[in-house]
Amino acid sequence: MAHHGRTTSESIIMETMNEKKHKYGMVIDLDKCNGCGACTVACAVENNVPPAVEKMNSRNGITWLRVSNVNQNESFTENDTVFVPMFCQQCEKETPCLTVCPQNAVDIDPNTGIVGQIPQRCLGCRYCMTACPYHARYFNYWDPQWSDGMKQQLNPDVSPRMRGVVEKCNFCHGRLHAAKEKAASMGNREIDPKEYVPACVESCPNSAITFGDLNDQTSVVAQLSKQGNAFRFLSRLGTEPKVYYHSTREWVRAMAEQKGPHSLRDSQFSAEAIHG
Amino acid sequence: MDKLFIPRGVQRTSLPKFLLWLLPWTGLFAVGIYAIYLCLAEGLFHTNMDNRFAFGIWIFMDLTVIALGAGAFFTGFLLYILRKKELSAVINSAVVIGLICYSGAVLVLMVDVGQPLRAWFTFWHPNTHSMLTEVTFCLTCYLVVLLIEYIPIVLKNRKLRQIPKFLVFEFELHKLMPVFAAVGAFLSFFHQGSLGGLFGVLRGRPFAFREELGIWPSTFFLFVFSAAAAGPSFIMLTTLLVEKLTRKRLVRSSIYQFLGKLSGSMLIGYVLLKSIDTLIWINSTSPGNGFPAFEFYETQSFGTWILFSEIVLFGLFPALILLSSRLRMNRVLLFGSAFLVCCGIMLNRFVMTIQTLALPTLPFDEFLTYAPSWEEVAAFLFVVAYGVILYSLTYRYTTIFPQERELALGRNEEHGELSAAQSTDDGSRQNSFSAKTVNRTIS
Amino acid sequence: MIPWVYEFHWTAFHIIFLTVFGTVGLIVATTMLMVFNRSKTAKQTGRVEAIQWHSDFHDLPSGMRTCRHEFSGDVQHRTCNNEFRCESCSVHLAFVSMKGEPVSPLLLQNNVLGFSMPHDRYYHRGHAWVKKDPDGNCLVGLDDFGTRLVGTIESMELPEIGKKIHLNGIGWTIHTLGVKLRILSPLEGEVIAHGTEKDRWLMKIRPSDPQNATVHLLRETEIRPWIMREMERLQFSFATSGAGITLADGGELIPDFHKHFPNADWDGVLGQMFLEA
Repeated sequence: MAHHGRTTSESIIMETMNEKKHKYGMVIDLDKCNGCGACTVACAVENNVPPAVEKMNSRNGITWLRVSNVNQNESFTENDTVFVPMFCQQCEKETPCLTVCPQNAVDIDPNTGIVGQIPQRCLGCRYCMTACPYHARYFNYWDPQWSDGMKQQLNPDVSPRMRGVVEKCNFCHGRLHAAKEKAASMGNREIDPKEYVPACVESCPNSAITFGDLNDQTSVVAQLSKQGNAFRFLSRLGTEPKVYYHSTREWVRAMAEQKGPHSLRDSQFSAEAIHG
Repeated sequence: MDKLFIPRGVQRTSLPKFLLWLLPWTGLFAVGIYAIYLCLAEGLFHTNMDNRFAFGIWIFMDLTVIALGAGAFFTGFLLYILRKKELSAVINSAVVIGLICYSGAVLVLMVDVGQPLRAWFTFWHPNTHSMLTEVTFCLTCYLVVLLIEYIPIVLKNRKLRQIPKFLVFEFELHKLMPVFAAVGAFLSFFHQGSLGGLFGVLRGRPFAFREELGIWPSTFFLFVFSAAAAGPSFIMLTTLLVEKLTRKRLVRSSIYQFLGKLSGSMLIGYVLLKSIDTLIWINSTSPGNGFPAFEFYETQSFGTWILFSEIVLFGLFPALILLSSRLRMNRVLLFGSAFLVCCGIMLNRFVMTIQTLALPTLPFDEFLTYAPSWEEVAAFLFVVAYGVILYSLTYRYTTIFPQERELALGRNEEHGELSAAQSTDDGSRQNSFSAKTVNRTIS
Repeated sequence: MIPWVYEFHWTAFHIIFLTVFGTVGLIVATTMLMVFNRSKTAKQTGRVEAIQWHSDFHDLPSGMRTCRHEFSGDVQHRTCNNEFRCESCSVHLAFVSMKGEPVSPLLLQNNVLGFSMPHDRYYHRGHAWVKKDPDGNCLVGLDDFGTRLVGTIESMELPEIGKKIHLNGIGWTIHTLGVKLRILSPLEGEVIAHGTEKDRWLMKIRPSDPQNATVHLLRETEIRPWIMREMERLQFSFATSGAGITLADGGELIPDFHKHFPNADWDGVLGQMFLEA
């Protein structure tokens, strides 16, 4: 009856012991991000996130990935600003959303470390949303609707979610499956890292996002994550997120540690702005 | 016609007057049903909840009514297990209130979740590590127990008891009531606690996150204590309300004293634990997670006055009054304290749900506000209306308060003493032996 | 939760969870089955009447459960908790053993507040009287208070000859004022004869335990205080049954008083007076 421990995934690990373990993660260079929002759009298109309806707003609409604009709060001439793409941080330890779900609708793939959300099992109690410190989980308050034309654009690799369930970033699991299929068709057990790149990474015009296997010490992402200026949001909670950020600007790193003055500038890239 | 269903020996208002009383509540009930229909049929966008405020007034209400309904398990436990006979005067009322609170809470929960038809998933393949699983299981089981406990009250109705099948069933069921009281107390202990645990385990919400004691966070134990304190107080208040509305006495004043003392002693324990817990949280847990605790109270209206109110104004203050047998004799102080206790519980549940969600966690996040939509308020009032209607019907057609008949008979404590004195006079005239000797033999 | 169902693992938490809730479910289900079973047995073994009395007695307010020793002045204040069964009441036995000389018959009057309550009879709280017949059997009838309460009866059903009746069970049934009323049996025994019009008794009973047949019944000095209480009770039951204030304190019951209360809830009044809850 305790809330901690991960016996479920542990036992799955036992079953799949002999497979190679990956730990997919990201490093986002905040100095390169100019807040264009291409990642948000690419994410929504890739994952069949339904377009906003009339009454939707930035608080109840669905954006698996949203970019926040943070101000340094200095005088006008001295002021600096940073864009922070925020989405599921794929917490590795004490994953807050995993243990709270009453019906096992949240799981962690032991082979990839990806925190998954199984909408078919989700009761829609939204307990995981209150548990998530990054507010990276989204609830379908409306029935998802696509106009006839938009239906043609739906991604066949990703099933759309129904009303009343929670969804979130899963590092584009449709792409992971496609890469696995491709590898299998070629008789390989392992996927080619180049074949599995999430949509946001691909779409970023400034190549601010690096994606890869953090377990693979030779990968770029593993090396970037160990750089001096790499940091994670809310790292003191002890949840070991697998999404790293990077900035050479000291105030940005201090901000992530809750220090120094800063404020949210403007509203986030809202659902209306993107889909409306 | 309706007269034949009203218990013998008690007075009830006329049927038209009773229906008139039910009318506004039925209206509220109907509006609530419509709001619930909208939420179920069209979606939860009818509420003002959003991705940040994923829990709203409904969860707050569920936590509150379940705490207030705790009187059912606590009274049942004391009466049937610890044999506190005095409580038989309020046990029926406690069961009805418990049933209303729990069924109301479950009903609204079913509207609150996005896919209510999947609720069985939790039973078939639950995540045993989730506090919500524990809540779901205990709540469901306890609701069944409460329904079983409610059956005898209904079967004691004047007409129903004339059917031998019902009469015998009620009799046999009542004999085994201690079993249900024990099961109910066990289940209640766990779900009152796990409702608290629900928030205490939220590692991602440093405002709510608490240290663990065993396998549960400290809020588990705080919720058990506070519910045990609020239950008796709420029974006091509802009984007083029914007395005022019906303009008659329903329980002896000694019962109020007993309940007040009970509430006070649980509350003082709660205040002590809560104070220790708060100190540990301020000095260790919260800063350990990178959040200096007092930063939580810097935002807008949620200042440290909340902490003060929770612990002192709604905690220590009423607890001391309820524990003093002299102050408790004053009805205003007694019921005023009971009211403060209930307010304190509501505030605590409010803080745990609403304030927890309003406070930002990400460094660039903002403090958010939320106001419930009319559909949310209507569903909330639906539970109130449902409760009033069920309680009124049960009160009218069954004997919720066994002492009502007695008090109406005019044979309350004072009168009993008076007639006893008279009979001694007669006795001393006719018999040579002392009544006191016999009294000793009897006891 | 359930073994061999997807997501069940043989780990401590799953086993504890399964055990705890399995036990709770089992206890609740078993207890309910026991209740069903016991009530079935109770009906088959003819314990319904005993249970009815038990239940009715339990629901009587304590003011209606006055101990007979309060009537006789032996004790200041005492409420009966033994279903008016003095033969098995230790307190009653204690009192009886302490009893002094018998009360002089001169102190006893047959007229009690205008009711004819002869002192050669024993009275049950449900207003049936019992008189010992020289042949060792008991005669049973409805006392004057009860007779005046029920008024002109429409019909009456006596148990058949040879039938056993149980103490505090259904003695006989009366239909009056649109109410079906059961009169509590004052005795445990077998019905051996029905009385005729001129007999002034209704049934002749062969008591199961002739020695203790009348121990629990009210007698002599107990009758007057008891009837006084009954008058109080009647007044109260009228008050709660929608007839408003009725009897002045200390007055007597006028003959056909029913006619004066056409709107009274007779089922309520008579039920209360004849100890039906």
